[in-house]
Amino acid sequence: MSQNLSTSGGWRVALRLARREALRRKGQTALMLVLICLPVLAVSAAAIVWRTADVSSVEGIDRRMGSAEALIETSYADKIVQTPDPESGGYGIPGEKVNEDEVLDIDDLAAVRDVVGRDRPVTVFGRDSLGFRTDKGIGDFEAFTTDLANPVTDGLFEPVSGEYPPGPGEVVVNQALADRGPGVGDSLTAVRKRMDGTEQEFRLRIVGVAESAGSRGYPIAAALPGAFGKGEDTTGRWLVGGGPVTWDDVQALNEVGLLVTSRAVLNDPPTLDLDPTAVPSQDGIDDITMTVLALVVAMVLIEVVLLAGPAFAVRAKAQAHTLALVAAAGGTPRQARRTVLASGVVIGSVGGVLGVALGVLIGVLAVPIAQRFDQSRFGPFEVPWLLLLVVAAFGLVSALLAAVVPAFSASRHDVVAVLGGRRGEGSPSVRTPILGLVLLGGGVVSAVLGSAGGRDTAPLLIAGSAIVSVFGMILVVPMVVGLISRLAARWPLALRFAARDAARHRTRTVPAVAAVGATVAGVVALGIAVSSQEAANKDAYQPQLPIGYASIALGLDADRDAVEETLTRFLPGQGVQAVRGLQTSTEAGELEIEFTADGEAVMLDYWSSIGSPYLVGTEVPDFIEMDASERERADELLADGGLVLLRGADDDGPDAPEVQVDVRRYDPAGDEPKDLASATSKAGVVHVQRPTAPAPALMSPKVARSLGLEVDTVGLVLPGPVSESQEKDVQEAFGALAVQPYFYVERGYQADDAVQIIQFVLAALGAILMLGGTLTATFLALSDARPDLATMAAVGARPRERRRVAAGYALFVGGIGALLGAPVGFIPGLAISQPLTRHHETGVSSLDVPWLLIIAVVIGLPLLTAAAVGACARGRLPLTARVE
Amino acid sequence: MNPILELTDVTRVHGEGANQVHALRGISFTAHAGELVAVMGPSGSGKSTLLTIAGGLDQPTAGTVSVEGTHLGGLDLQGRARMRRTSIGYVFQGFNLIPALTAAENVALPRELDGISARAARKEARTALDEVGIGELADRFPDDMSGGQQQRVAIARAIIGERRLILADEPTGALDTETGEEILQLLRARCDAGAAGVLVTHEARHAAWADRVVFLRDGVVVDETGADRVDVLTEHAAR
Repeated sequence: MSQNLSTSGGWRVALRLARREALRRKGQTALMLVLICLPVLAVSAAAIVWRTADVSSVEGIDRRMGSAEALIETSYADKIVQTPDPESGGYGIPGEKVNEDEVLDIDDLAAVRDVVGRDRPVTVFGRDSLGFRTDKGIGDFEAFTTDLANPVTDGLFEPVSGEYPPGPGEVVVNQALADRGPGVGDSLTAVRKRMDGTEQEFRLRIVGVAESAGSRGYPIAAALPGAFGKGEDTTGRWLVGGGPVTWDDVQALNEVGLLVTSRAVLNDPPTLDLDPTAVPSQDGIDDITMTVLALVVAMVLIEVVLLAGPAFAVRAKAQAHTLALVAAAGGTPRQARRTVLASGVVIGSVGGVLGVALGVLIGVLAVPIAQRFDQSRFGPFEVPWLLLLVVAAFGLVSALLAAVVPAFSASRHDVVAVLGGRRGEGSPSVRTPILGLVLLGGGVVSAVLGSAGGRDTAPLLIAGSAIVSVFGMILVVPMVVGLISRLAARWPLALRFAARDAARHRTRTVPAVAAVGATVAGVVALGIAVSSQEAANKDAYQPQLPIGYASIALGLDADRDAVEETLTRFLPGQGVQAVRGLQTSTEAGELEIEFTADGEAVMLDYWSSIGSPYLVGTEVPDFIEMDASERERADELLADGGLVLLRGADDDGPDAPEVQVDVRRYDPAGDEPKDLASATSKAGVVHVQRPTAPAPALMSPKVARSLGLEVDTVGLVLPGPVSESQEKDVQEAFGALAVQPYFYVERGYQADDAVQIIQFVLAALGAILMLGGTLTATFLALSDARPDLATMAAVGARPRERRRVAAGYALFVGGIGALLGAPVGFIPGLAISQPLTRHHETGVSSLDVPWLLIIAVVIGLPLLTAAAVGACARGRLPLTARVE
Repeated sequence: MNPILELTDVTRVHGEGANQVHALRGISFTAHAGELVAVMGPSGSGKSTLLTIAGGLDQPTAGTVSVEGTHLGGLDLQGRARMRRTSIGYVFQGFNLIPALTAAENVALPRELDGISARAARKEARTALDEVGIGELADRFPDDMSGGQQQRVAIARAIIGERRLILADEPTGALDTETGEEILQLLRARCDAGAAGVLVTHEARHAAWADRVVFLRDGVVVDETGADRVDVLTEHAAR
């Protein structure tokens, strides 16, 4: 009991001292608060935006079913088992799938009423993807069919102007659709394209503008049922009113194969014990994601602790004299420790609370901005208090952890040395770097295992290796700082002073260097991962045409004149070249041709982007690229009435001087293929310059004739260039044709903008963290070194010497951090690139090290930071601080 | 003979209005080459202010200060810093060595700051350390030295680069009697070799090493002894 009392009493004194100290050194306290506060603030604000953007089942009820009691949909099964919310929880099919014609049609209102009760109001709520005519062609929109005047639909749309459609010839559109063409009073021409290629048009008068409650930015229109005709998919969707639809009702509907989203059930979901095999789970986070998430949180915690560490070290040092006096008066090391830890408690709790408060404020401001970038509408503003409490606790824990090392170091100070005014720390431990090296070794092993591991084990092993390596690096930092400072003897004065001073004050320097190191390691690892993935995508890309070329595959029944007219209109002056080939899609079925040499089928790629796999002509067209000698040989064969088989540049196989050509036809009913014709022809295999050939074979008109096959213009090719807006115009114009031809523009591999953005964000984030870490360390060091700077002034240092010293500190801290961090980042970076980019068939991985990013981070950033620090630092030296 | 250090009617006022403190009130003071002048007086008499103003670390409110004929008031911060590198050396009670630099590097500091090569500066520093009798400790860090050794390093730093004005602020305050005497002996020797020294002290026996003693009280000179030494020197120079 008395022990407890003395413990709590001890803490009370320690906390009081810490609070006073915090108020006394306001500048330093503000810095410490910022370091703890910022991450808490950022995470809190992000949590608010995330929770607000996320629409829960209950929040989403109105946008899913308006004011109705339930949304009922047909499934393609005679019986189903569902979770309370089938959209997020999923459903299972224990019974049989049923034929399409047996499924309840959208018009089968009576059948639904049979189950839910005849007196309930039921209305159709159909949705479909349709096209609408614009000046240039056809655009896409989402069509809703329901009776918006029916009260059960209240809340699905929010009227902006005009009215809801009173009759079947009228429609209401959203602003996004109105912006793309017709407005209120105009008519909307909706186009429904059927699988068989026919189209149906509906002219509807726009009577109002209304916004969908769920989505924004994408064109939407709503009209009465039947206004857009009927498509192939007539799956029933109905809104039901008239009192709560209970879980029992839901299960009764499930029995007849109907899927139900019920307001009453969502608001008060029943506890279920569903057989997981019957209902595939769609939500929940799996163990691996959870572990990786935990590792990410751990990494962030390490970074925050390391960034805040120097500030606590300096605070502890400022208290060293007091603590030594306390020790001289009989205080125990434990009391000294507690006094420093109490700083962590005070700063951590204030920082945590302040961070959450500011985070909420930023969240309020950020939600409308985030909504602007998102097409789905956010839910109501939501502050996840429990989560924010955890985040605030995170702030407290990080401050406490940041105070741990200084606290232990303070409790071990040599009292006599401190009271005697000697300012250094003892020599570093030998064991620490050895443990660090062991951990680094463990990180490498884990990374190697992870790189070879599958998709399930790799993330864990590699994330683990990242954490272990970073810890190892932190433990090695004191040794490296010591070693490098020993090399300083020949360095310029300011840098030498900075290096030696940094090495003398390890509790302050080590966390700063480690923070920079951890940042650089993270940037390098992620940079390698992102670049490698991009390299893998690039490696996998196969161009279909020479870069810049465009092709049009005409297909059966295409209106060639209309196509050419469109091309002349949007791409004038381009030498459009007709591609002659065998029309493999015929009324009677699909043609397939097999080439046999020496009794064995010749394996070829079988695809084409130019209308037909079998091109016919007397010479090789220029859009098929091959070496001059190969082209000469191929042209000779074709001129000679022969046949050329095309192989990709890397594919091997024997030549085929003579091949047998067999033509078969698959009829639409899917019966056995029918042999159509056979011929033998002089032939040759030539290699194209690309990994895959744009078509399997080129044949002379003579071969086609001998097979009795019709030769036609199967496609068009133009050399380009075609700009992206021209491509869009052509696509839109083609969209309006009865039979839409396939239009393709070869632009080569298009690097995903996201990769450049991610690399930029990585570099920027690295720069911010490095600048933050280096700045705090430097300015703390400068305030610590005030007496030394005063001495320098007294012996005649120029006023700008302080700037040089500041830049020297920044260069030392940033440089060592970057040099240590980069190799540590390579460990998980190289490892993760393997499973990330491994080709599912060949097993080949891609690796791309973004050297530019790494050089920028390792060399550029420390120099930039040093320059920035040098520029910001006050030049003037303290003059009379030490002259007694 | 022109004095190395000359203060004429120097006044220094700290603060304003009711908080005004007159640290120095119209003091005139000189120190010639080869002369060690002791400045004595109780706490708050203005001894240290006199020293900071003499070294250009502080500016007088009124009056002029010249060192080797250069008016410090006419110089900017840069210029005054240059004077401290080339003409004025400080020795403090607390040694004020930079713990992150070795003895030789501490001594070489003014020369390095002056822009001469690190190698040359270090060579000069070794010579200076030899002169103060601790050449063998050149590569030690201050924390590994005794108080007396540290103060010798500080004196070496104050004399390096042929500086002819040494300002010592209670240089023996942190030392035992024997070591303190050795340090004063060193200072005396430097002055005999041609430097001008100003020694702020409150111990009468240290004043015995000086050619002249100036007593300060409340910012004014209340007494001055041994002025004849200066006359002898002046006559000597005239001859």
